[in-house]
Amino acid sequence: METALPEHITDFGSVAAGRLGTLGGPQAALLAESDRRLRDRAAAALRDLGAFDLDVRSSYDELMAAAALCRAAGATLLPYPVVEELLALDGARLALVDPRAPRVDHGDLAGPWRLAGLDGALYTATMGPAVAGSGGHAKLGPFTVIAHRLENAGAIPLSDVMLHLILTSWRLLGAVERAETITRAHVQARAQFGKPLSDFQTVRFRMADTSVALRGLEELAKFTLSRWTAAPSAVGWTDAVMLKIQAADTGITLMRTCHQLLGALGFCDESDISVIDRHIQPALRSPESAAALTVRLLPSLTAGDVQTLFSTPEGTRS
Amino acid sequence: MDYHLGEDADNLRQRLRTLMATHLPPGFLGAFTHDPEDLATTQVFCKTLAAEGLLTLSWPTEYGGGGASVWEQTVLREEMWAHHEPRGAQYMGVNWVGPAIMRYGTDAQKEQHLTAISSGDVIWCQGFSEPEAGSDLASMRTRAVRDGDGWVVNGQKIWTSYASMASWCVLATATATADGGRGRHTLFLIPTDRAGITVRPIKSMLGPHHLNEVFLDDVRVTQADVLGEVGGGWQVIRDALAFERVGIARYARCESLLERLRSELGDEFDDLPESLRVRWMRALIDLRVARLLAYHAVSLQNDPGATVAASSARIAATSCDQSVAELLFDVLGPSALDSGPDASLDGAIDDHWRYAQAATVASGTIEVQRMLIAHAILGGR
Repeated sequence: METALPEHITDFGSVAAGRLGTLGGPQAALLAESDRRLRDRAAAALRDLGAFDLDVRSSYDELMAAAALCRAAGATLLPYPVVEELLALDGARLALVDPRAPRVDHGDLAGPWRLAGLDGALYTATMGPAVAGSGGHAKLGPFTVIAHRLENAGAIPLSDVMLHLILTSWRLLGAVERAETITRAHVQARAQFGKPLSDFQTVRFRMADTSVALRGLEELAKFTLSRWTAAPSAVGWTDAVMLKIQAADTGITLMRTCHQLLGALGFCDESDISVIDRHIQPALRSPESAAALTVRLLPSLTAGDVQTLFSTPEGTRS
Repeated sequence: MDYHLGEDADNLRQRLRTLMATHLPPGFLGAFTHDPEDLATTQVFCKTLAAEGLLTLSWPTEYGGGGASVWEQTVLREEMWAHHEPRGAQYMGVNWVGPAIMRYGTDAQKEQHLTAISSGDVIWCQGFSEPEAGSDLASMRTRAVRDGDGWVVNGQKIWTSYASMASWCVLATATATADGGRGRHTLFLIPTDRAGITVRPIKSMLGPHHLNEVFLDDVRVTQADVLGEVGGGWQVIRDALAFERVGIARYARCESLLERLRSELGDEFDDLPESLRVRWMRALIDLRVARLLAYHAVSLQNDPGATVAASSARIAATSCDQSVAELLFDVLGPSALDSGPDASLDGAIDDHWRYAQAATVASGTIEVQRMLIAHAILGGR
């Protein structure tokens, strides 16, 4: 068993985090809400890293590199649809949506889009307007637009849907890791009642639980990535949805902790925690909430597609 | 990345399952029952494992062990716990007493004890916790006071699992310094029938044999009984806890119980309220995470980060243990309170719920695990 990413992949992840970090991190993402040029620079940085040349569907090595890249994009809160670009179909970015309420993060960017549902159904659509309508940018998901006039355009393999869920989870992992780092530094620096917040046991325990949740998400993300195959299976599909559920739940719980420990500061636009929380909302909630995804997995539970130490091995069920 | 445990580990899992299917009676719930037959079953099963070279699979070959890989040891932990620990009380001797004797014991102690442990002949208990020293072992009050060429021990131990069935005990004491000052810790290996030792079982919701008090009244110990150095007991204790670092594979029994109950429910599973099936699904995600955290901790071995990884794995696994216990009870409704062979899963659900109550207390409370993690990530206390 080898539970660590290969060294050359972690090295690539470090290089990616360094390059994407030069754009300015969450504060640059905040400025990008009103200055589109910052998103052009994000695209240029991804191009510098060779992101758009990664063949995530047929090379496992390049898929791992893509996962490391998505984590770095999350950690730097890159204001760009990196997952959607990595999974582009014939030059059209691929967004995973709920066709009943299609919302596309960064859907305002120029260029063609394709939308897919969790069942693999593919759509063309018209983008816009922004979810905030004519009133300006929305606070939550400020780059999100409403998609209209969905037209059937065939289907994509479920393996693509699984990749979308997996890579989005890696992006969320990077973002919540950054939020935890910021919060950890805050509780060590901020003094109340004559001592740092990190001296209070309730704060220490809450940070410990946050650490466990983060490490658990990281291990699940690696495990799920290692099991992805181009030939989709019921078990593989279940694996990918399980990861997205865990990424969303961990993200929501962790951001709540970050807000609580930063106090009022964490709500201010100038706070990195506020920017992270607002910008990752589309990834947390789309294509469906963790609760809805869990209900979606119930047939997999009945069918025995959730592999455990005691489930029937795949392919041997009658 | 590769999450396969390896062919040897996979083969071992199948071999262990075959052995257990052959040698354990239906509805076996471990040695902690009122039925003496269950204790006898574990003793016979240990002999079987010993004969197959599996009882001390994790021991180095130089001590007659199997020299197993960490992943084979992981499989052994998972399968034993999932099947209600059919090694019974041998668990402690094999898992840490033997390895501690290998590292710190004298030649005479190795000769006397290692073969007995590896053949499944002797049951050990661990005399660590005291009424005033639970998680805070350093404040133990049991004193070993110099008397001639030995010591006289007085004090009390509590929560001592297996004490009523054990024939040997690893006894932790505070040994007074030469000037009578505050002592350092010293461990002694003593037979439980030595004069001055009284064991009193404590009845509890966990079931019989789990908890005992051990009273030590003028118990004489000698230099030959010392494990390690006089005053060097804390190092041995720390190492002993490290042998058990990752802890019990609680996730394995939880996964087993959920799978067995799903099978027992059959088509009725889909008739369960959606809210319960949602909790079931979430439990399986949490269990997978707990298992992966355990694997991560095992993979780190001697890495400096291993302690924090192990604490993370313990928090995840013990939390799952209790949430799965509640889920199983909620699925069964009032019939969850039934116990015995006529109950669902032969009483395994009632047994699991009761034992799970101790999951976040035993072998280092969840608060201690949180303190260890907080110290690592925040510094300070």
